[in-house]
Amino acid sequence: MAETQIKNLTINFGPQHPSAHGVLRLVLEMDGEVIERADPHVGLLHRGTEKLIEYKNYVQAVPYFDRLDYVAPQNQEHAFALAVEKLLGITPPLRGQYIRVLYAEIGRILNHLFTVCAYAMDIGAMTPMLWGFEERERLMEFCERVCGARLHMNYFRPGGVSQDLPAGLADDIAAWADEFPRCIDDLEALLTENRIFKQRSVDVGAISAEDAFDRGFSGPCLRASGVPWDLRKAQPYDVYDRMDFDVPVGKHGDCYDRYLVRMVELRESLKIIKQCLNEMPAGPVKVDDRKVAPPKRGEMKGSMEALIHHFKLFTEGYHVPAGETYTVVEAPKGEFGVYLVSDGSNRPYRCKIRPPGFAHLQAMDFLTRGHMLADVVAVLGSLDIVFGEIDR
Amino acid sequence: MDEQALRELGETLQAIFAEHVLAAAVDRGELTVTVAPESLVRVLSFLRDDVNFHFRQLMDVCGVDHPEREKRFDVVYNLLSLTHNRRIRVKVMTDEHEPVPSVTGVFNSANWWERETWDMFGIMFADHPDLRRMLCDYGFEGHPLRKDFPLTGYVEVRYDNERKRVVYEPVKLEQEFRNFDFLSPWEGIQASLPGDEKAGS
Amino acid sequence: MGIAPTQPEMASGEAALEARDVDALWRGVTNAIEDRGFVLTQVDKLVNWARTGSLWPMTFGLACCAIEMMHCYVSRYDLDRFGVVPRPSPRQSDVIIVAGTLTNKMAPAFRRVYDQMAEPRYVISMGSCANGGGYYHYSYSVVRGCDRVVPVDIYVPGCPPTAEALLYGILQLQRKIKRTGTLWR
Repeated sequence: MAETQIKNLTINFGPQHPSAHGVLRLVLEMDGEVIERADPHVGLLHRGTEKLIEYKNYVQAVPYFDRLDYVAPQNQEHAFALAVEKLLGITPPLRGQYIRVLYAEIGRILNHLFTVCAYAMDIGAMTPMLWGFEERERLMEFCERVCGARLHMNYFRPGGVSQDLPAGLADDIAAWADEFPRCIDDLEALLTENRIFKQRSVDVGAISAEDAFDRGFSGPCLRASGVPWDLRKAQPYDVYDRMDFDVPVGKHGDCYDRYLVRMVELRESLKIIKQCLNEMPAGPVKVDDRKVAPPKRGEMKGSMEALIHHFKLFTEGYHVPAGETYTVVEAPKGEFGVYLVSDGSNRPYRCKIRPPGFAHLQAMDFLTRGHMLADVVAVLGSLDIVFGEIDR
Repeated sequence: MDEQALRELGETLQAIFAEHVLAAAVDRGELTVTVAPESLVRVLSFLRDDVNFHFRQLMDVCGVDHPEREKRFDVVYNLLSLTHNRRIRVKVMTDEHEPVPSVTGVFNSANWWERETWDMFGIMFADHPDLRRMLCDYGFEGHPLRKDFPLTGYVEVRYDNERKRVVYEPVKLEQEFRNFDFLSPWEGIQASLPGDEKAGS
Repeated sequence: MGIAPTQPEMASGEAALEARDVDALWRGVTNAIEDRGFVLTQVDKLVNWARTGSLWPMTFGLACCAIEMMHCYVSRYDLDRFGVVPRPSPRQSDVIIVAGTLTNKMAPAFRRVYDQMAEPRYVISMGSCANGGGYYHYSYSVVRGCDRVVPVDIYVPGCPPTAEALLYGILQLQRKIKRTGTLWR
C-alpha cells in the first residue's frame, strides 16, 4: 500500500471574525477537525494605554480605564481609584463608597448579561441577545442619568465619585431590581436546560482547579473550577464587607459551569444592589479635600479660593506621594489589578494594568487542544474575552 | 492584612535565603522582596511550594524602567496565596543585556506575561520557550514602554494608492503632544533658574 | 430632479425617490397605479432606492464602539427596520462600520477586508478613535483616523457615539446615497 502523506492544516481564525469578540487572530493547527495547537495572536487592539497614562496626570488617566474593558467600564475605574487612594492615604466618605459598590455591581450585571448573551449567540441561540440587551439598555440609562455617559462613565474618581445620585434615580433602580429576576428566569428558561446549549458546552474546555491556579485564572472562570475565591469576600474593598451575598462555585470547570456561575452571580449582584439602596446613608460623595476633589459649582461662583482649587486640580492635578501599590478589584471577568508606581509627581511613573482576560486567553491552547474546531468559539465565549483590556 | 505578619514573612524569607534576598520591606500593607536574579527560580518555587507561603498563583509580571539607574529595569512578580489570603511582590533588577531566568517552569501563566515584558521593555528572559513579540505590531522596532521611547513612536501607517498596500512612514504630526510642565517653581525645583548665576557675583 | 414636497399631486409616474414627504410619495405611487396600472421611474433612482433600503453592514467591531453598534442592532434601536442587517462576510456587505480604534497592527487586515467588499461600498467611521485617533491620537500604535487607510463617507462623532447617533449616521448615509448615488459608482 502506498504511503500517504498526512499534513496538519493550519487555519487562521480572525482577525476579523464575528465570534472572535473583537480582534483576535487565532492560528490553529488542525488534524482534520481536531485542534492540535492554538496560537492566539493578540495585540491587534494594542493602543498603548500604559504609555499614554505615563504622560497624563491622575485625573486625566481615569477615562483610559473605562476604555479597557468596555463591557463593564465602572469596575476598571474602581481599581484605579482605589490604587490612587491607597497611595494618597485617603478614604472616600461612606455614601461615596456605597455608590461605587452599587455601580460596580451594575457593571457586573452589564458584563454578565453581555457575556452570557454573546456566548449563547456564538453557539447558536439568538433570542437571549435580544432580551438581554434590552436590560442592558435600561442599565445604561442608569449610567447616563448619574454621569451623562451611557458607556464610558468616568464616574469613580480617586476620592469618591464625581457627583451624587440625581433625585429619583435610587427609586428607579430599586424598581428595576424588582423586575430584573424575571429576565434572568427567561434567560435560564431558554438556555440552562436547552439540549443544544448543553451539547455545545458541557465538558467543553474543562479545566481543573490545579491547572487553573497554575494558569493564573481568577473570577468566574476560577470559581467554575470549584474554588470559592472572590476578592469581594476575601479582600473586601469599599463597603463590600458589609454586604451579604453568596459566592457561587462550579464543579467541573467547563463552559457550562462558567455559564452557570455567571447566571447565579447575576442574582447575587442584584442582592448587593438592593442592600446598597436600602442601607445607603446620606452625606457627601467625595472627600472634603480640595486638593483631590473639585469644589461645588456654586461655591466656585462666589469663592476665589474655590476657583483656584478647581483650576489647579484640572490643570496640574494633584501630586501623589512616592510609592507603589498593587491594588485589585474583583472585576466581572476576574482579578483586575493596577500596579501603580508613583515618583511623587502629578503623573503616574508606571501604571501596569493586570487584565484578567490575558491569563484566560493564554490558556486557550490548553483548553482547546483535542477539541473540535467549533468548540473554539464556545471556549472563547465562555472565557469572556474582551480585547480592550487584553491588548490595552 | 496584618502588617506584622507580612514583616515576619519577609524576615523568614531573608533567614532562609540569606544573601539571595537583597531586601524585604512592607509598605502600605504590601510586602516587597528584592531577589538576586540567579536565585529567582529557586525563590519562586519555594514560595509556591512551601506550606507557610503557598503562593500558588502568579498574577502578574511586569517591568518598570528607571533609566537613571545602572540596572535600569525592575521586573516585578505579583504573587497571590489563596490559602493564606496574602500577596507578595518579588522584584528583580536587570539591565538591557543581562537576561532574567524565566519562571515559566514554575508558573505556566508566566509565559505570556514574560513575552509581554520582553515586548514592552526589551528585558530578556533566559530559557523562555517562545520569546516572541506579543502586543506590538509585526516587525515593530524598539520597546515602547522604555522611558526613552517617544510617546508617538517612529512610524505611522497609511494606505498608498499607487502601491496598493498599507505603507509605514515616519511619524508626522499636525500638532505635537502638548506636554505642559505644571511643576511650579516654588515647589520641588532642582535645576537653577535663569539668572541664578548672577546671585553669587 | 425629483418633485418638491410642496407639490401635492404627483402627476407624472416618476415617483420622486428623495421626496421628504413619504406620504406624498406613496399617494403619488398609489395614484399612478390606480390611474395607469404602472409607475415610471428612472433606473438609477430605483437602484438607489434598493441600495438605501438594504444597506448590509459588515460586522467590524474593533473596540468600545462595537458595544454601541451591537446595541443599535438589537431590540431597542433595531436597525432591521431600515433593512440594515449585519453580515459576517465582506463579500456580502455594502457598508463597513469602523467601530473602534484602528491600530497599526490591524490596519493591513482592515484594508484587506475593505478590498474584499464589492462595489458600491460605503464606510462609516464611528467614534473619535476611528475619526482621528481621538483619545489615543498620540499613541505609538494607533492609526490617526481610519481615513488614512480607507475613504470614509460618514463620520459619527462621540466617544463612543450613542446608538442613536449611529442610527442617525446610517440615515445620513442613506440620504447621501439617494443624493449622489448613480448606477455605476
